Amino acid sequence: MSYRKLVLLLAFLLIVPIAIFLVYAFAQGWFFPALWPERWDSELFLRQLRDPQVRRGFEQSLVVATGVSGLALLLGYPAARVLELQQFRGRGLIYGLFFLPTVVPSVATGIGLNIVFLRLDLAGTLFGVMLVHLIPVLPYVVLTLGSSLAHYDRNYEHQAAVLGASPWLVFWRVSLPLLLPSLVVAGVLAFLISWSQYVLSLLIGGGKIITLPMLLFSAASGGNYSLIASLSLIFIAPLLLLLGLVARYLGSPATGATPRP
Amino acid sequence: MAKWRSWLGLAPASIIMLGLFGSSLGYGIAQSLGWLPFLDQRELSLAAYRNVLVGQQLGGQWWSALLFSLWVSCAATFGSACICLGLLSSIAERQQHYRGLSIVSNLHLAIPHSVWAMALLLMLSQSGILARIGFAVGWLDQPKDFPVLVRDRWGIGIILAYITKEVPFLLLIGLATLRQQGRAYLLVAQSLGANRWQRLRLVLWPLLAPSLISGSFLVFSFIFGAYEVPALVGVRYPEMLATMALELFLNPDLQARAEGMAVSMLMSLIILAVVGLAWRWREQR
Amino acid sequence: MQATARKRIWNLGLLIGLLSLIIASCGSNTATPTSAPSSTSLDLSNWTSIEQAANGQTVNWYMWGGSDSINRFVDEFYGKALKERYNITLNRVPVADTVDVVNQLLSEKEAGKTSGAVDLIWINGENFASLKQAKLLRGDWGQSLPNSQYVNWNNPAVNLDFGEPVESLESPWSSAQFQLIYDSAKLQASDLPRSYAALKEYACANPGKVSYIAPGPGAFQGTRFVKQALFEISGGAEQWLGAFNQQLWDQWSPKLWEYFNDLEGCLWREGSTYPKTENELHSLFANGEVDFSITQAIAGAGSLIKENLVPASARAFVFDDNMIGDFNYVAIPSTAPNPAAALVLANLILDPQLQAAQILPENGFGLGYGIDPTKVSDPALAAKLASAAQQLGDPATPASDLAKSLRSDIAAEYQSLIEQGWDANVLRK
Repeated sequence: MSYRKLVLLLAFLLIVPIAIFLVYAFAQGWFFPALWPERWDSELFLRQLRDPQVRRGFEQSLVVATGVSGLALLLGYPAARVLELQQFRGRGLIYGLFFLPTVVPSVATGIGLNIVFLRLDLAGTLFGVMLVHLIPVLPYVVLTLGSSLAHYDRNYEHQAAVLGASPWLVFWRVSLPLLLPSLVVAGVLAFLISWSQYVLSLLIGGGKIITLPMLLFSAASGGNYSLIASLSLIFIAPLLLLLGLVARYLGSPATGATPRP
Repeated sequence: MAKWRSWLGLAPASIIMLGLFGSSLGYGIAQSLGWLPFLDQRELSLAAYRNVLVGQQLGGQWWSALLFSLWVSCAATFGSACICLGLLSSIAERQQHYRGLSIVSNLHLAIPHSVWAMALLLMLSQSGILARIGFAVGWLDQPKDFPVLVRDRWGIGIILAYITKEVPFLLLIGLATLRQQGRAYLLVAQSLGANRWQRLRLVLWPLLAPSLISGSFLVFSFIFGAYEVPALVGVRYPEMLATMALELFLNPDLQARAEGMAVSMLMSLIILAVVGLAWRWREQR
Repeated sequence: MQATARKRIWNLGLLIGLLSLIIASCGSNTATPTSAPSSTSLDLSNWTSIEQAANGQTVNWYMWGGSDSINRFVDEFYGKALKERYNITLNRVPVADTVDVVNQLLSEKEAGKTSGAVDLIWINGENFASLKQAKLLRGDWGQSLPNSQYVNWNNPAVNLDFGEPVESLESPWSSAQFQLIYDSAKLQASDLPRSYAALKEYACANPGKVSYIAPGPGAFQGTRFVKQALFEISGGAEQWLGAFNQQLWDQWSPKLWEYFNDLEGCLWREGSTYPKTENELHSLFANGEVDFSITQAIAGAGSLIKENLVPASARAFVFDDNMIGDFNYVAIPSTAPNPAAALVLANLILDPQLQAAQILPENGFGLGYGIDPTKVSDPALAAKLASAAQQLGDPATPASDLAKSLRSDIAAEYQSLIEQGWDANVLRK
C-alpha cells in the first residue's frame, strides 16, 4: 500500500464514525432498509447543547481534565527527571510501580479506590476526581517525558548553571524551551485520558461530580441512537480540536509521545 | 544530601501511585478473600477463589470465559501487530518523516473505545449501514442475509473493534522507532546491496520488534481487562472474564461481590504474569 | 557496597513511611465520625415540619438516565414543582445502571460514612433486595407519607417487590405490566400469538423472526418472560403464589427448559445468541430483524415511538393470560444527606395531578399509576385520573386486555432459579 493511500485510509476510518454520528444525531426514526433518513430534526441535538446537565458535565470535565494535566505535569516532570537522569538501583522497580495501573484492570481497583477516597473525605469533590485520574494518567506522562529526557542533553543546564544561573532560571530559560514539545504532548495525553475516564469518575465523583462520559454511558444504556450520537459528538469535538492544535508537535520525533492503547 | 534532594522529585508521584493504588488493590484483595463489612462479614477465606476455579456453578463459566478472553485478546493483539508490521514494511522506505500518518494516527486517539464500538455496531450489524447499502444494491433481501459480524458467538465484533482501534496506536509506536533510527539503517543496508526482502527481514523487523512487542503487550493487557467493548458488541455467552466479573458485581446476592473480586484479581494476576514474562524476555535480549 | 545497602534501606524506609502515612490517615478518619445525619430528628407525624426542614435543600435523585424523554419528564414536572412549591432544588443524577448506586452505598457503608451522596433512588427488584440485605435503606416512612393514602398497600403487587416484602422501606412511583409490541404495518391484530404455545407456532412458521431477552442479573424482562411461560406450562399462575415451593419448581422446571429448547431452533439466529437488553430487542424490532419487542409501559409503544426507538406503526398487545404486572418505587438510603427533601419528593410523586401526567405518552414517561385511582375521593382529581387513562392512544394495549391477563409476581427465590437454570439448560447447551 502506498503511503498516501494509507494516510487516506486512516483518515477515512476516522471520518466514518464521526459521519455516522452526525447523521444519527439529526435523523429521526431511521430504520432498515432505509439508506438515508427520511425525517430530520435538529431539536434533540440543539437541546443537548443547551441542556444544563450537559453543560455542567462539559464544564466539570473541562475543569477536571485541565487540572489533571496540570497536576500530572507538576508531579510527572520531576519524577521523570529522577528516573531518567539519575542512575540508581531499583529504577526498574519504580518504573514497574508506575506501569502497574496500566495493566491492572480498573474493575479490580475501582471499588477499593472509592473506599480509600471516601475515608480521606475526597470522594465527591473535584479535587478527588482529579487525584484519582492521576492513577491512569501519570504513567503515560512519566513515560512520555521519560523517553524524551532519554535524548536530552543535560550539558546545556550545566553550562547555564556554571554561568551563574539560578536553578529556577535554568529551568525557565533552558529546560523548558528544550522540553516544551514533550511537555505539551504529555499534557495533551493527560487531558485525553482524563476526559475519557468513566468508571473512576463515576465511583469517586459519586454523582456529585458529573462528567461527560457519565452522561454518555447513561445515554448508551437507553439505546436512543440520536441521543448517543449527539453526546458522542459533543464528547469527541474538543479532543479532535486539541489534538489538531498540537498536531505539529505530535508529528515531531523528539516528544517521546507514549499514547494509551 | 544532593542524592536525597533528587529523590524528592520522585516522592509525590510515588505517594499517589503507591498509596492510592496500592491501598485500593489491598481492599480488592481483602474483598476477594471474603472481607465484606457491609454484610458484617470479616473472616478471611479462599472460598471465593475455590468457587470461581472449581465451583459447580462458576467453575465452568470461569474456564470458558478464560478461554474466550484469551482467544479475543490474542487474536486482536496478533491481528493488530501483524497489520501494523505489514503497513510499516510497505511504507518504511518511501517517506522521510511520516508526519501525515503520525498526525492521523494521533487523531484516532480522540475516539474512546466505547464510542468506537458504538459506531462499529451502527455500521456492521445485520441491519446496519453496510447491510442497508447491500439492500439498496440488491445483494440482500433481509437483515439475516448479512453476515453476523457484531454481537456474534465468536467475538468477531469485539476483535474487529479492537483491531481497528489498536492499529493506529501500534503505528504510532512503530513510527517513533522508525523516525529515530530506521531510515539511516535502511539506507546503509540498501547501499550495501541488500534487496528489499533482506532489508525487511534483517533490518526493519529487528528494529521494530522490541517496541512493537512491548506495545502489543500493552494492547493485550488492555483488551484482556476491559469490559466496555465486549458489553457493547459482545453477547451474553460466550463472555469475557471482565464481563463475568462485572456480572458478579451486578448480582443481587452481595456474597457474589467476593467472587467478582476474585475473578478481577485472577485476571490481574494473569495479565501481570504475561507482562512480567515479556519484561524478562526484553531484559534478557 | 555499603552505600547501596544504605540506599536500599532508605528506599524501604521511604516506602514504609508513605504506607503508614496513608494508613494513619485512613484510621484517623474512621475514628472521627463525619457530620451527624439530620435524619434522626424528622417527625413524620408532623408533615409541616418536614416541609420546613426541606426548604432550601437540594435533593439528589439517582436514577437510570438512559431515556431522554423520562429525564425531561422528571426535570419538567418534578423539578419545577419542587422549586415552586417547596423551594427544593432537584439534582437528577443519571446512572447507566441502578446497581452503580447500590455499589456506591455499599462503599459508603464500608468507609464508615454516616452522610453520603444519595437522597433518593428509583429502584425495584434485585437492587432493592441487595440494599435491604445490606440494611442500607431508611425504614418506616413509605406508609407514613400524606399521599400514601392513595396507595393500595393491601395489594400484594404493591407490598411485595419482586417477591421481597417492601416493609415501608420504599414508596411506589408507578406501575408496569409485561406487554409485547408488534408492527401494525406488517401484522394484523388477529394474527398475533396470544399465548406461549401460539408464540412457538408463530416462531416456527416464521423462522428467525422471534427472540427474547436473555434472563439474568440486570435483565429482569428476560427473566419475567421465562417466568410467565412457567405459569402457562404449569397450567396457571395461582399455584406459584405464596411461599417458595421447591417441589413445585422441581416438578415443572424440566418442562420449562423443554419448551425453550424446542423454541430455540426457530428463534432469531437459531438461538445461538440472544439480545441482552430491552434496547437491543427494540433495535432488532425497529429494523425488522424480529417481529416482536416487549415493553413494561402502560402507554405501550407510545413513549418508544416518541423517542424514535420504534416505528410509529408499533402497537402493544398482551397474551390472554400470565402477563406479570408490578410496581416500581423510590427508596431513601439511611445515609441520605437531605432526607427531608427526599421525603417531600417521594410524597410529591404520589400527587394525583402528577400521577395523571405521568401515564400520558406525550409527557415522555408512560408508566402506569403508582396510586390506586379508586382511593382518590376528590371528584375533580378522580376525573382527571380517569380521563388520562382514556388518552393513551392506539399504541397502548386496551385496558381490558391488560386487566384480563394481569398476574402478580412470585417469591424472589424463583428469580435466581430461573436465571441460573436458563443459563445452564438453554444458553450453554
